[in-house]
Amino acid sequence: MEKSLSSATLVKPIVKDPFAELDVPFGYGRTESYLLPKDPAWMFLFWEITQSTFDYLKSQYGDETLKNSRTIIRLHDVTGVESFNGTNSLEFYDMPVIFEARSWYINVPKTGRMYVADLGYLTTDGRFILVSRSNSSSVPPGRVSDVIDDKWMIVEGDFQKLLKLSGADYIGLGASELMQVVGQRWKLTELTPSGSPSSWSSFALHLEKVEKEDEDIWLEADCEIIIYGSASKNAIVSINGKDIELKDGKFSIRQHLPAGSVVDLPIRARNAKGDKTRQLMIKALREQGK
Amino acid sequence: MGNEKGYLALVLHAHLPFIKHPEYPDFLEEDWFYEAMVETYIPLLNVFENLTEEGIDFRLTMSLTPPLCNMMSDPLLIDRFSHYLNQRVELSEKELTRTSGTEFEGVARMYFNKFRRYKELFENRYHRHVLEGFKKFQDMGKLEIITCCATHGYLPLMVHKESVNAQIKIAAQDYRSRFGKNPRGIWLAECAYNPGDDKFLRDEGIRFFFTESHGILHGTPRPKYGIYAPVYCPQTGVAAFARDMESAQQVWSAESGYPGDARYREFYRDLGYDLDYDYIKPYLHSDGVRRNIGMKYHKITGKVSLNQKQAYNPAEAREVAAQHAGNFMFNRQKQIEYLSTVIDRKPLVVSMYDAELYGHWWYEGIDFLEYLFKKIYYDQDQIKLVTPMEYLEMYPENQIVQPSMSSWGDKGYHEVWLNSGNDWIYRHLIKSSERMMDLANKFPNATGLLRRALNQLARELVLMQASDWAFLMTTGTAKEYSTKRTKDHVKRFNELYEQIQGNRINEAYVYELELKDSIFQQMDYSVYSSASKEAVLAKY
Repeated sequence: MEKSLSSATLVKPIVKDPFAELDVPFGYGRTESYLLPKDPAWMFLFWEITQSTFDYLKSQYGDETLKNSRTIIRLHDVTGVESFNGTNSLEFYDMPVIFEARSWYINVPKTGRMYVADLGYLTTDGRFILVSRSNSSSVPPGRVSDVIDDKWMIVEGDFQKLLKLSGADYIGLGASELMQVVGQRWKLTELTPSGSPSSWSSFALHLEKVEKEDEDIWLEADCEIIIYGSASKNAIVSINGKDIELKDGKFSIRQHLPAGSVVDLPIRARNAKGDKTRQLMIKALREQGK
Repeated sequence: MGNEKGYLALVLHAHLPFIKHPEYPDFLEEDWFYEAMVETYIPLLNVFENLTEEGIDFRLTMSLTPPLCNMMSDPLLIDRFSHYLNQRVELSEKELTRTSGTEFEGVARMYFNKFRRYKELFENRYHRHVLEGFKKFQDMGKLEIITCCATHGYLPLMVHKESVNAQIKIAAQDYRSRFGKNPRGIWLAECAYNPGDDKFLRDEGIRFFFTESHGILHGTPRPKYGIYAPVYCPQTGVAAFARDMESAQQVWSAESGYPGDARYREFYRDLGYDLDYDYIKPYLHSDGVRRNIGMKYHKITGKVSLNQKQAYNPAEAREVAAQHAGNFMFNRQKQIEYLSTVIDRKPLVVSMYDAELYGHWWYEGIDFLEYLFKKIYYDQDQIKLVTPMEYLEMYPENQIVQPSMSSWGDKGYHEVWLNSGNDWIYRHLIKSSERMMDLANKFPNATGLLRRALNQLARELVLMQASDWAFLMTTGTAKEYSTKRTKDHVKRFNELYEQIQGNRINEAYVYELELKDSIFQQMDYSVYSSASKEAVLAKY
C-alpha cells in the first residue's frame, strides 16, 4: 500500500463569518454553558451570561472584587466521579478567558477523560466564584487501549502486525483520500456557475495540513483572533466595513487566522447622525509556518 | 460455512438531505436528488435486476436514510423527477440525430438506451415507487437495507440524550412503515459513534452499526482481531463493524485509484455548456443559466484542459471497469489470504462507501459493481460476500469491546462538523433540543392543533439537526444554502415554540410549515419526552 498523500491541495481555510449568525437569536436569555468534544485533545465550550447574573454577582461579591478578579474556565476532570459538586473532581485546570467571547476552544490536558467546565471569577485571594457550570462531556482516548482481554488473548507481535493491517497508519484520514481523486474536480467546480453539482457527499477535507513525521509524536495548531472593545453606547461600530452589534457598549468578534494571511481590520465608530467618527486599525499577520 | 477463506461485506451509504421547495416551481438544490436518482439509485436497481435475471447471487448492505426514503416517496418530488427523466429521454433522442455519423454517436446512443431503460424501470416496473424495488431485493435476501439517524443527525454533538433517542426512534419508525420490519442495522450519520448511544439502537431492535477503523482499534480492551471481526458493545451486545481502509484506499487512492482512469467519463465537460444555447435551453432551469445537465460526451483523457478532452467511448470504459473489478477482487483475495495467517478465524473485510460515488461521481462505478458481483460469483471461491447479519449468524460469539468515540470525517473525529466556520449553530441546535424536550414533558398527551404544532416543532428540530448543513459550511460548497437552511429551521422552530408557549398557535402558520417541511408524516413528538429516554436507560 502506498502512503496516502495529504489532500493539501484541497485546503480551504475556514474563515469564520462574523455575520453568519446575525438573524438568529443572539442568545436565549439564560445563563448557561455547554461543553462539546471536538477530538481527543480539544473541546468546545460556549456560553451565555445574562445581565441579571452579572447584577446578582455584583450584589453578592461587590463590583470591586469582580473587577479585580480574573475571568477563567476551570476545567474539572470528573472521570468516574458519580455526581460532581464543584469540589470532588480528580483534578482541575484553570485557563484565562474573556467572557465576551461567548465560546472557546479548550485544549484538554489529558485524552480519554470526562470533563466539566466551570466559568467563573478567580479572585485575588484565590477564591473561585462560579458563574456557569457546563454539562459533562468526554473526549476519546485517541490511541490503542492498554487493557488486555484475558478471554481474547493476543500475542503482542501479532497485534502490532494486525494494527498495521487494520490501517492504523491511516487513522484520521477519514474519507479524505477520495478527495485527492476528485480534487481537481472540486477546483473546477468553483469555476462553474452551477456551484457544486455534488455537495452532499460525506467527504471531509483537511482543514489544516498536519505534518506527520513520526508515528509517536504529532502536533497540530491553529489560530483564531478575537477582536473586542467598547464604544459609546449609541455609537454604530463597524469592523471591516460591516456593522456589528453592541451589547452594553461592548463588542467582540472572532475570526480564524489562516497561516500566511494578513488581515486588516479597520474598526470605525460613528454617532447616529454620522457626523462624528473614530477609527482604529488592527492588523494581524500570521507567518506561513512550517 | 463453506471452503471460502474469508468474507467481504460491501456497504453503501445512500443519503441526501431533505430538500423540497414546494414554494418554488423549480429549485436548483432539488437537482441533487434527481441526479442521484438517475445516476445512482435507479442504476443500482438496474444492476440488481440484471444480476437476478442472470441467476447471479449477490449480497449488499445499503443504507437508505430516512430523508432519502421520504424524498423517494414524496409525490411532488417524484412528479418533478419524472419530468426530469422525461426531459433526458427526449434530449437523448434528439441527440441521436444530431450526433449521427460523428465521434459522439456511441455515447449519445448509450445515454438514450440508459435513460429509456431507467424510465421503463421507474414508471412500469416500480410504478414510481423505487423503494418497492429496493424492498423486493431485501425480501429476496440479497440486499440488507439499513437505516440511519432520522435526519443524519450528528449524535456525539447532541448534549441531550432525548435528541439521540428521538433520532433513532423516528428513524426506526420510518423504516418499519416502509419495509414492514425492524431495521437490523444502522449507519450512524458520518459513522459518528459516541459510547453508550448503542443503548438507543438496541431498544429499537438494531443489532449492528458501522464505525471508522479506529472506532474499534482504539476500543477497550484491545480488539483481538483488529478490524477484521466485529465486536459487541458492553451491556447492549450491539455489534460494531469497522471500515477497512485498505479496500477504501484501493478504490480511491490518488495514484492507483480507479475513478481517475483517463478512459473514464469526464465529470465537468457537460452538454449543458457545450450545446447551442437555444437547443439546450429547454433542459436548463427556468432562469436559463447554463449548468450541468448530466450528459457528458468526453473522457478524462489526461491532464488537459476541458476543451482538449477526447470523445468518450462507452465500450472502452466498461472494459476498464471490468478490469478494475477484477483488480479489486484479486486484492481482496490476497488481503484475506494474508489475514488468515495472522488471525485464527476467517477474516471479514468491510468495504464502506458513499453510494452516490457510484454512478454520480464515478460514472462507471455502477458497471464496476456489476462486474464485481459477477466475478465473485463465477470466477473464484476464496471470498464470499456476506451481510453483517449473515456473519453474526456464522460467528455469534465475538469479543466484547467498548468502541471509541470516532467518525469517518477528516482527522477521525468531529472537526468537520465543529470548527470556527460552523460552531455557532450548536447554540441553537442544543437550545432547540432542550426546548423540544421541555414541551414534550409538559404536554404528554396533546391533541388537536397543539399536537400538530408539537409534531411540526419536532420536524423543524430534526431538519435543523441534519449533519449536512454543518458539513457544507465547512466544505464551502452550498455554504449559503446550508446556512440559510439552518437559520430557517431555527427561526421556524422559535416562532412555533413562542406560539405554543404563549397559547396562541396560528393554524395557518402550522399548515404552511406542514407543507414545506413535510418530512415524517407519522411524527410523534412524544419521542422527545424524558420518560421515553429514561425507559431506555433504565434497562441498564
